[in-house]
Amino acid sequence: MGNKPITMALAGNPNAGKTTLFNHLTGARQHVGNYPGITVDHKEGSFHQDGQQISITDLPGTYSLTAYSVEEVVSRDFLTTAKPDVVVNIVDASNLERNLYLSTQFLEMGLPVIIALNMMDVAKDRGIEIRVEKLSELLEIPIVPIIARSGKGTKELISQALEVAASSKTMEPRDISYGEDLDESLMELIATIEQTSFLSSAYPARFTAIKYLEHDDEMLRKGQAAAPETARKLEEIVSKTSDHLQATMDVYPEAIIADHRYGFIKAILRQGVLTHKFDTDRLYTSDKIDKVLTNRLLGPVIMLAILFGLYQFTFSWSELPVSWMEALFGWLGGVVENTLPDGLLKSMIISGVIDGVGGVLGFVPLIMFMFFGIAVLEDSGYLARVAFMMDRVFHFFGLHGSSVMPFIVSGGIAGGCAVPGVMATRTLRSPKERMATLLTVPFMNCGAKVPVLVLLIGAFFTEHKALYMFLFTMLAWLVALVAAKFLRMTVLRGEATPFVMELPPYRFPTFRGLVIHTWERTWQYIKKAGTVILGISILLWASMTFPGLPQSEQDLYESQRLEITETLAKQTEKLQDALTGINQEESAATLRNSIAGKVGLFFEPVSSYAGFDWRTNIAMLGGFAAKEVIISTLGTVYSMGVIEADKASSLGDRLVKDPHWNAVVAVSALIFIMFYAPCFVTVVCIAKESSWKWALFSMTFNTIFAFIASVLVFQLGSMFS
Amino acid sequence: MTIQKLNKKCCSLAHKLQQCKQGKRCKRHHGPLSETCQAGKLKICKLTGDRKECAKMAALGVLPGQEAELICSQGGSQCLLKIHGGTLSIDQNTSSNIIVETI
Repeated sequence: MGNKPITMALAGNPNAGKTTLFNHLTGARQHVGNYPGITVDHKEGSFHQDGQQISITDLPGTYSLTAYSVEEVVSRDFLTTAKPDVVVNIVDASNLERNLYLSTQFLEMGLPVIIALNMMDVAKDRGIEIRVEKLSELLEIPIVPIIARSGKGTKELISQALEVAASSKTMEPRDISYGEDLDESLMELIATIEQTSFLSSAYPARFTAIKYLEHDDEMLRKGQAAAPETARKLEEIVSKTSDHLQATMDVYPEAIIADHRYGFIKAILRQGVLTHKFDTDRLYTSDKIDKVLTNRLLGPVIMLAILFGLYQFTFSWSELPVSWMEALFGWLGGVVENTLPDGLLKSMIISGVIDGVGGVLGFVPLIMFMFFGIAVLEDSGYLARVAFMMDRVFHFFGLHGSSVMPFIVSGGIAGGCAVPGVMATRTLRSPKERMATLLTVPFMNCGAKVPVLVLLIGAFFTEHKALYMFLFTMLAWLVALVAAKFLRMTVLRGEATPFVMELPPYRFPTFRGLVIHTWERTWQYIKKAGTVILGISILLWASMTFPGLPQSEQDLYESQRLEITETLAKQTEKLQDALTGINQEESAATLRNSIAGKVGLFFEPVSSYAGFDWRTNIAMLGGFAAKEVIISTLGTVYSMGVIEADKASSLGDRLVKDPHWNAVVAVSALIFIMFYAPCFVTVVCIAKESSWKWALFSMTFNTIFAFIASVLVFQLGSMFS
Repeated sequence: MTIQKLNKKCCSLAHKLQQCKQGKRCKRHHGPLSETCQAGKLKICKLTGDRKECAKMAALGVLPGQEAELICSQGGSQCLLKIHGGTLSIDQNTSSNIIVETI
């Protein structure tokens, strides 16, 4: 030890607290939540303790080391190829039996493992007492009780982990008996494997033999690629054993293996390791709550009420701070207006920066309240129940229960992001179900669409903001599900796969956790507004300013100004109004003649069927870069015609006063914004997760669908209004 | 189907309403988990269906002979099963392949 960094892996069941511990140790801000499957890929970090640099990897949660899911393959591959100096196995103390199932497989692999017995506080509350020393003695590995959320016991854990890493003693793989039939077969398999050094560089012989008996697809594939002849011999032995077990006991070898592993765990726990203070048959509070919250009839009603309550809370509590932000940016615009001389710099700062970025930043309080509400739902464990309740609905639309989480992450409750949502589809095993999920998650109302929705709903449906927000969220779900059904019935036709998920217990969210979750998401929003959105805003301002009006036209406006000044020289007020009118006309003509204006005008003959004029077109095109840009562009477009910023009203007011906008146009625009092509980053992510063919399909399919829907809404709405 | 026929079926809507009114429990049930109409304790008898899914369920501790508790039956469409100290949410496809016996 010393200069060479120690490599450490965090492994364990889903929702056991691996990422919480990872964040605590490294000071990172990886997303954690009270539902399984948040970590889908391994994450790296590093920290120091006792003068030793430690390089740590947070692995996705798994129940076993057999390749049943992508997470299991990722975890196993990392452990066998990277060969970390020490594996910290995070075990949920309140659910010991299930969690030790994975630990037994680490022991069978002969990995240098140490157990971190997490959630000791939850176990204590449930009346569970664990004799840690006894358990450590029986498993023959160090065990340290910890509470990852508070950091209690983590120093001791790392000290002991460093000792394991430094120990020259190599861990001997632990042998568990799987009964007479399988043990005999294992002996035969191990002999063949050892004779031929089959896959011996990566796995111990017994581990390979067990995986062959478990019919592990990944291992079979690797075996066939490495040594086809030996692989065939091994498969023959396994097949013989499997047939025998089927004939005599009507089970497959993997069921017997699992049964013996659980038997091994039970035998250990019964030696005075685990005692229950309360009756083990009693239902915990969490289960009692579930009886109500997941009830077939009451559950969905409560779920919808919670969602509506979240929007009500967000809108009512954020109204005042949002108006403060609007006033702040209005004041700032006024200061710049009165300080800087007229010219390009002033125009850029007012129209490009303040009205553009300010329009996005003005929604920070609202975003913050919404993220806080979502953090409460997530940390309490309620979102996992939402997934459970939605599974039935998803199944009907050809999706999988595991698709629910990507939908929620992408903004199912409004305020998520499609990029992690697309990545979260990795938990789906069926390629067709995964592709259907991947292509439909961008329909959700991500955090970038929320301010656009809030702006238009706030401007045109002032009386029932929360209700409209709720309805548009429901619409996003409906459209996404119908689109999924359409895809599953046409290009992605295939069988549905089963869905099983472990529900985490309800937990009281900690204030610290809520603040961290709210802040990390809000900060991302602010950071994006101050960097990407600022850059795009300035770029779009430039495209809306240049090439400017031809000199002849500029001279025409100048002569109009001179003429008016001479005519109304003694009527100051009238003169001011007339001059403002000419200036606005000139600004509008400049905008119309600009690069962006010409592009907007080019699309107007088509977009007018959906009620969008050329200025809205510029905003929609900007939205391809990032959805927040729609607001910043509308802010810039509608501020270019206004000369004195301090006299200007908010963007919402400007849209209401604009003759091209009304409630029908607003709904049509909202529908187009919600469903047209995903932002550029999401498209790249879809391409990375599938292919560019599907990414282009997503852009085209979504835009065509969104446009048709908007045209229908606008035409029908105009007919009836 | 008459209401009498409906009443004969343990898990029919009519029977459930009757149960609700009279507070009666279902009779002992042996069959797929998806058809277990009453929350309560049960024993897993057998796993059927796709081999991979059976193996996955076995890794989660859903094994023949294992006792579990049905928390929410959801009328056969999906269910919450408390087993090995954890709570599993299981969809209908899977629960119809888990043969159980109420105890």
